Amino acid sequence: MTELNNSFSINSEKFGKNNVINILGKNWALIFLIFMLILFSFLGKNFFSLNNFNNIVLGVSSLLLLASGETFVIISGGIDLSIGFIMGFVCVTTSIIMRDLNAAGYSPFISILTGSLVGLLLGLIPGIINGFLVAKLRVPPFIATLGMWGITNGLAWRLCEGFPIAFLPLQVRDIGNAYLAYFSSKGGFSFFIKPELTERKDILSLLKIIPIPILLITLILVIFAFILFRTKFGQHTYVIGGKVDAAIRAGINVPLHLIKIYIISSFFASAAGVLLVFKLNMGVHTQYTSSYELFAVAAVVIGGASLTGGKGTVWGTVIGVLLIGTLNNGLMMMGLPIFYRYIATGCILIIAVLIDQFFPELVHKE
Amino acid sequence: MKKFIITLLLICLVLSFTAMTGVAKQLKFAFMPGIADPFYFTMEKGAKAKAAELGVELIVGEYPKAWGPEYQVPILKALVARGDIDLLFTAPTSTEALIPVLKEIYDSGIPIITVDTYIGDGDYTKPSNYSFPLAYIGTDNFLGGEVVAGQLALLLGGKGKVFLENTNPDTSSVINRELGFRAGLKIFPDMELVGVEYCLDVQETAATQVGAALQKNPDLDGVFGVNVFSAQGAYQAVVSAGLEGAVKIATWDATETLIEALKRKELSLILAQMPGEMGALCVEWGFKHLTEGAEIPRKVIPGFFVFTQENVNDPEAQKYIYK
Repeated sequence: MTELNNSFSINSEKFGKNNVINILGKNWALIFLIFMLILFSFLGKNFFSLNNFNNIVLGVSSLLLLASGETFVIISGGIDLSIGFIMGFVCVTTSIIMRDLNAAGYSPFISILTGSLVGLLLGLIPGIINGFLVAKLRVPPFIATLGMWGITNGLAWRLCEGFPIAFLPLQVRDIGNAYLAYFSSKGGFSFFIKPELTERKDILSLLKIIPIPILLITLILVIFAFILFRTKFGQHTYVIGGKVDAAIRAGINVPLHLIKIYIISSFFASAAGVLLVFKLNMGVHTQYTSSYELFAVAAVVIGGASLTGGKGTVWGTVIGVLLIGTLNNGLMMMGLPIFYRYIATGCILIIAVLIDQFFPELVHKE
Repeated sequence: MKKFIITLLLICLVLSFTAMTGVAKQLKFAFMPGIADPFYFTMEKGAKAKAAELGVELIVGEYPKAWGPEYQVPILKALVARGDIDLLFTAPTSTEALIPVLKEIYDSGIPIITVDTYIGDGDYTKPSNYSFPLAYIGTDNFLGGEVVAGQLALLLGGKGKVFLENTNPDTSSVINRELGFRAGLKIFPDMELVGVEYCLDVQETAATQVGAALQKNPDLDGVFGVNVFSAQGAYQAVVSAGLEGAVKIATWDATETLIEALKRKELSLILAQMPGEMGALCVEWGFKHLTEGAEIPRKVIPGFFVFTQENVNDPEAQKYIYK
């Protein structure tokens, strides 16, 4: 938030008279999000409740990770289309390891830890290859990552043969669906452990505070937002995306930097894959997993990044993801069929790009 | 001398026997599955058992790795190219694209039965360019949807709010399940369908959608998830809401994953098709047609088996699990 405030003041000096328009243009996604929250609270039954907000953020949690990784790539002027299938590949690999270790009699702790770590590490390999292809061999990012899209899809498909990988240790789901704290009128506050309730009325009124996956994701995002804003690495990323010639003249090792960027993107996709295992208690890879990267790109663009590079923030991307999630959930709660929800998401994306085109000086930080 | 005559007689006997078996031609049936999955594996097992019983040789085409004519047709063509097949039974992966391919095979003198899926609209009784197969042996998805509605109503005592989590709005099988489910619910005046969503086979989406439905209708009593992804997503949402057991989940297809979930009480009922039965029926009717000239019904629909938490461990129920 402080970064945003800083940028307000910079822009406000430039456009002293148009302060209001300036703030509106710059934060249109956030303002639109707040507007939607208010609108749906009136229109949708039971929309405005803690449990529904949990449902929204948990529903977009994978997308949140994927889009944050994509933010780095898009700021550097590239695109990573392989993240959806990297997520699927890691999800399947992690769950196979967990299942087999569990079946071989290892303790759930060992099975879960090994599966998660190996999954995370394996997921970095596509990123290294993507980065090498783009940075060293000068393959256009669209093509390089589209190739990896096919490879990771094929590998994941081969591994799971189109079926969910089940029979994981049950603790996986307990971890993935836990909350930091619970509050019920009967039992008061309890941390991590869900109170035993039998009456449906009590179960429904149980307040669940901060899902554990969201807590971990927030932690990762804060670290990477810091890297992007406050470190040399982050500044170099903006420079490379904005003016690559200037970056080279300034002595930045552009190829090495790009490889790191694609590894970051791959890391986020792996983390999303491992998260998926914890949420679902299964390894799942279907062809529809591939729509994830497109929504990730959409969220990044809605969040104020430009596909030409040099612009964008992790915070903006978070807003973009929440906007997509809230729009979907709100329209669903209003009872609008799925077809119209696709149309609505499409319209929002187009509006985002239009704002980016017509008011670039308002939307982007210099 | 006596020994010599006996030996000679024996040799003659053996030779004549071999000659006889050579003359009585063994029937060769070919089975072309739709995709590599437990459903068709189970179908093959049922067909193999029946083939062994009737003395029919069964040749099975390579299992396509994905669903669609572009995967199935090349394998199918290679399968019939051997030239010695007496009957083909197959699950066409497209109602339209497979018509010319199967017609060509039929014209070359091989009778065809379509199993599980069909060409055209599946009605081979009225004359059309796709009415040449001997029969369609498979599930009626609409009927299955009705059965699920009835069973779910039974579980809920004929009264309650239910939600349908579907997968793809453009796939006839799951849409027919939906239509059947809707029709089945109409029989029970106190059963109300409060919503339908499509998750496109993404379990995470299914969980979010059912989560929203639970939020909107806190008194929801049941969910029908039309396949493994929608059912497991529904369960995840129910667990997340802390309503395990209070919200009944029904699903389709008795794969080992879903049976395990039923045993863990995550699901309340599973409608099993009878793929083994379908495979066996193909071989049996094909055999009767070729040896006795029997008239085959143009449409054969084997029944369903409903798994519940009560019967899932019964020994006689085990044969309906797809393996």
